[in-house]
Amino acid sequence: MFLKDLPDTADIVIIGGGVIGCSIARELSRYKLNIVLLEKNPDIAWGTTKANLGMVHAFVTPIKSLKGKLCLKGNEMFDELSKQLDVEFNRPGLILVALTHRQNLMRFVVYIWAKKNKIPVKWISRKWLLKEEPNINRHVKGGLLFPTAGIISPYEFTIALAENAIENGVKIYLDTEVKNINKDQGGLEVETNRGKIKTKYVINAAGVYADKIANMVGIDNFKIYPRSGTMLIFDKQLKGHYKHIYSLIPAKVDPRTKGGGAAFTTEGNLIWGPNLREINDKEDRSVTREDIELVFKKFSQIFPSVRKKDIIRFFAGIRAAANGGDFIIGTTKVKGFINVAGIQSPGLTASPAIAKMIVEILKRDGLEMPEKRFIPTRKRITRFAEATIEEKSRLIEMNPKYGHIICRCEYVSEAEIIEAIKRGATTIDGIKFRTRAGMGRCQGGFCTTRIIEILSRELKMDPLNIRKNSKESYVLCCETKSLRRN
Amino acid sequence: MKTRTIDLAIIGGGPAGLAAAVRAYELGLRDIIVFERDNRLGGILPQCIHNGFGLHYFGEELTGPEFVFRFIDKIKKYNIETQLNTMVIEVNKNHELITVNAYEGIVKYKSKAIIFAVGCRERTRSAIQIPGSRPAGIYTAGTAQRMINIEGYLPGKEIVILGSGDVGLIMARRFTLEGAKVKAVLEIMKYPGGLARNVSQCLEDFDIPLLLQHTIVNIEGKDRVKSVTIAKVDDSWNPIPNTEQKISCDTVILSVGLIPENELASQANVEINHATGGAFVNEWMETNAPGIFECGNALAVFDLVDYVVQNAERAAEGAYKYIHNEIPSQKIKVTHDETIRFVIPNRVSGNHSNRFYLRVTKPMENVILEIPEISLKVRYEHVTPSEMISIKLRDRIIQRTENKLTFKIIKQEE
Amino acid sequence: MKKKSFNCILCPLSCRIKVILDNNTIKSIKGYKCPRGKEYIIQEITNPVRILTTTIRLVDSKQKLVSVKTDKPIPKNLLLDAMNYLAQIEVRPPIEIGQILVENLLDTGANIIATTKIER
Repeated sequence: MFLKDLPDTADIVIIGGGVIGCSIARELSRYKLNIVLLEKNPDIAWGTTKANLGMVHAFVTPIKSLKGKLCLKGNEMFDELSKQLDVEFNRPGLILVALTHRQNLMRFVVYIWAKKNKIPVKWISRKWLLKEEPNINRHVKGGLLFPTAGIISPYEFTIALAENAIENGVKIYLDTEVKNINKDQGGLEVETNRGKIKTKYVINAAGVYADKIANMVGIDNFKIYPRSGTMLIFDKQLKGHYKHIYSLIPAKVDPRTKGGGAAFTTEGNLIWGPNLREINDKEDRSVTREDIELVFKKFSQIFPSVRKKDIIRFFAGIRAAANGGDFIIGTTKVKGFINVAGIQSPGLTASPAIAKMIVEILKRDGLEMPEKRFIPTRKRITRFAEATIEEKSRLIEMNPKYGHIICRCEYVSEAEIIEAIKRGATTIDGIKFRTRAGMGRCQGGFCTTRIIEILSRELKMDPLNIRKNSKESYVLCCETKSLRRN
Repeated sequence: MKTRTIDLAIIGGGPAGLAAAVRAYELGLRDIIVFERDNRLGGILPQCIHNGFGLHYFGEELTGPEFVFRFIDKIKKYNIETQLNTMVIEVNKNHELITVNAYEGIVKYKSKAIIFAVGCRERTRSAIQIPGSRPAGIYTAGTAQRMINIEGYLPGKEIVILGSGDVGLIMARRFTLEGAKVKAVLEIMKYPGGLARNVSQCLEDFDIPLLLQHTIVNIEGKDRVKSVTIAKVDDSWNPIPNTEQKISCDTVILSVGLIPENELASQANVEINHATGGAFVNEWMETNAPGIFECGNALAVFDLVDYVVQNAERAAEGAYKYIHNEIPSQKIKVTHDETIRFVIPNRVSGNHSNRFYLRVTKPMENVILEIPEISLKVRYEHVTPSEMISIKLRDRIIQRTENKLTFKIIKQEE
Repeated sequence: MKKKSFNCILCPLSCRIKVILDNNTIKSIKGYKCPRGKEYIIQEITNPVRILTTTIRLVDSKQKLVSVKTDKPIPKNLLLDAMNYLAQIEVRPPIEIGQILVENLLDTGANIIATTKIER
């Protein structure tokens, strides 16, 4: 699935294998072009993309900004896209609730604003909320429903985009880091740890490192200010605790963040967050006690019966925010170098629209883009846990490894893990994000050793070389007797 | 889909499930199946290669594998049916189970009685919200034990262990014996969580520092654990400011509690006791769902496998009685005051002798365990939450009460 | 005169035994509940011993390790040397519980015996 030997040339080199890079790759694979995507981590979706709430936003402010417009465009594209890519997508709608008097006043202001900007919105009464949500704070005053808000799994979506892009001819290279970019005879030469590649276009979708990549060609008119956001995931026993995505009516319209939400994943686990914290280190994904407190306090105002001890996982993601706060998408003073930078929220929502925009940019820049035969569909790994009893029987008959359950919390079978490896997973988290093995309440306590064994067997790899997710994240140290054998 | 009707379904092939199967067979039940999701019988014991098992039950000190093999041998001798690599994916209160394995696919069973012997899982880093990054190298003690003793790999070389329960202490010794360096064992309470003998043999023997009233307040490291920040805590477990220290390490081992696995039992409408994490049971280990029993660590986290086995045998006796319609009314309610965290079982009949298992809420010296309704007083020199108390009461003593037994711990007057 | 406290490790009662020493001569021992406890403390002071439980590598087997123990306690100060020695050993199936895998470990008179059955 993923390749090792870099070609000498390409038409387009995309730097960054997150949702933006992979969306662009898939869109460009409709055309007769040689497309190469470079990702520095051992798997795609490893940066900002995977640590994301997964919300497909109804809108973001400022509504007339580039990100505001791309958000609305992108939002509309998810129904068809999710069907083609066989990725779960739901539109439970976002309800902003008013708990305080002040929020209730703002409710009216936001409603008028939404109507003025033609954003679908519905006025929700207290009575309706209390009936609809038995677990909601009984003091809620009312809310506003934005029915176009949806949820998707950001990493499932990105993995699907990458698989489909590869099916349509895109070459993706993992563990490949861009060291330098040089101007070369009317084009660009990208230097990586795997060698050099000459290309007509470089698309900079490098997330938190977009400024560093741009600096390589002398572009320094923007800087990425990383901002971390913590997410809390709750035990599946709380599935169905509420039916829509919830947040609070803001005290004022904050252009930096809508403040996240109390949502649920496509699996049904409640997920709350993110908060916002400025950080210095682009890779600082640590979570502090205050991060957890802030997120928990904020949303337990809306759903007071959720307890801290129901948390099964927490993590932080990093927003790649550019100074100015808006997306930076377009050609630059360097011919062939296109920025897709500063993609913070609503990056995921805007991604399909961004991909289309890149096609327009390339066409306007004079690139010949003849269309070719394109396979728009991709199938997910069939999940044992989601099948009916009859389907489960059939799956096992077809492939007995479907009957061997490896992840006990999420009922993930060996067949799915082997398929994930076939589709390019080489790390523990690569398996986790493709199959859900390790995402249950024991958080890999039981299945990790078995997954190490399966990875080792299928890839003919020494278990000591198996990594959790990033470059040096080896899961084991040494053989049991080796420290004493002298 | 294949369907089979059997007498007794035992979910779990660890010491609880095996002991229950053997006892059920010895009582005369025959259509018994033990369902085990791992590829071998024994549960957690095959990886517990240390000593300390069997002192009560066999009168000998055995290692985990030696202990459990005695039951595995009986299973083989009696030819009791076991299914490995088989997971029970559904159970309902009508005694129907759905299982899955690679050979038979999906099979439905209807069983006269069901015994849950599914054990427990380990509490995770996320569940106790330790802040910091999420690098490779953070493992719960049981997972690390499996890596070292079964798979043959050390997860790391420089270890910090959080939790001084027996599992954490045993792993401190294991890591040290295999050549790793255990930098410290941290314990949030004022007293160690495990047996005193383990503090001696696992920490003092190897000069491993035990830091009481300490916890990990941050984990550092990008790809792999680099260090932890620890701090002293007050009596409410809050970190005390300015007591932070960094300890460099490449592995964090968490031994912060075991949680009985009752998600499957909940499907069968079994009511769970939040004090134990396991089901409410009567003197035959029967839950509130008639004919559905629970025993071993799924019922409550036991310290000694000897108690698990006794408890499992009782559940098997219960299943036998249930099948023969012989379970009497359990009219006596078993309860306790705030000095005791839980007592098992929760109801008894008064017609039989009973073994009660309980844990106190805090360590105390020179106490009396009192049950006023039956005028029972038993002296204990010291009691502590980490050491379960097991006490057997004869039927005629229990019969001194009509409807209630209240367990209390009273400080003995000098 | 020195006062020392020990936790007896022989059984889960973990009796706390208090000893008064005069230059390594035992003047008094208190707190034990059985004669083995008293013997244990005397041993702990004069020549502490331990049962070693560990694993040995398997070859030609589906499993990687066999769990083992010493059939008698060995001097505590030899535990790590024993581990170094055993790290070099490999054994083959079939192995029965109780089977001697290493005789007279480091000249202690104790054997290393298997605690798991390995069929293949």
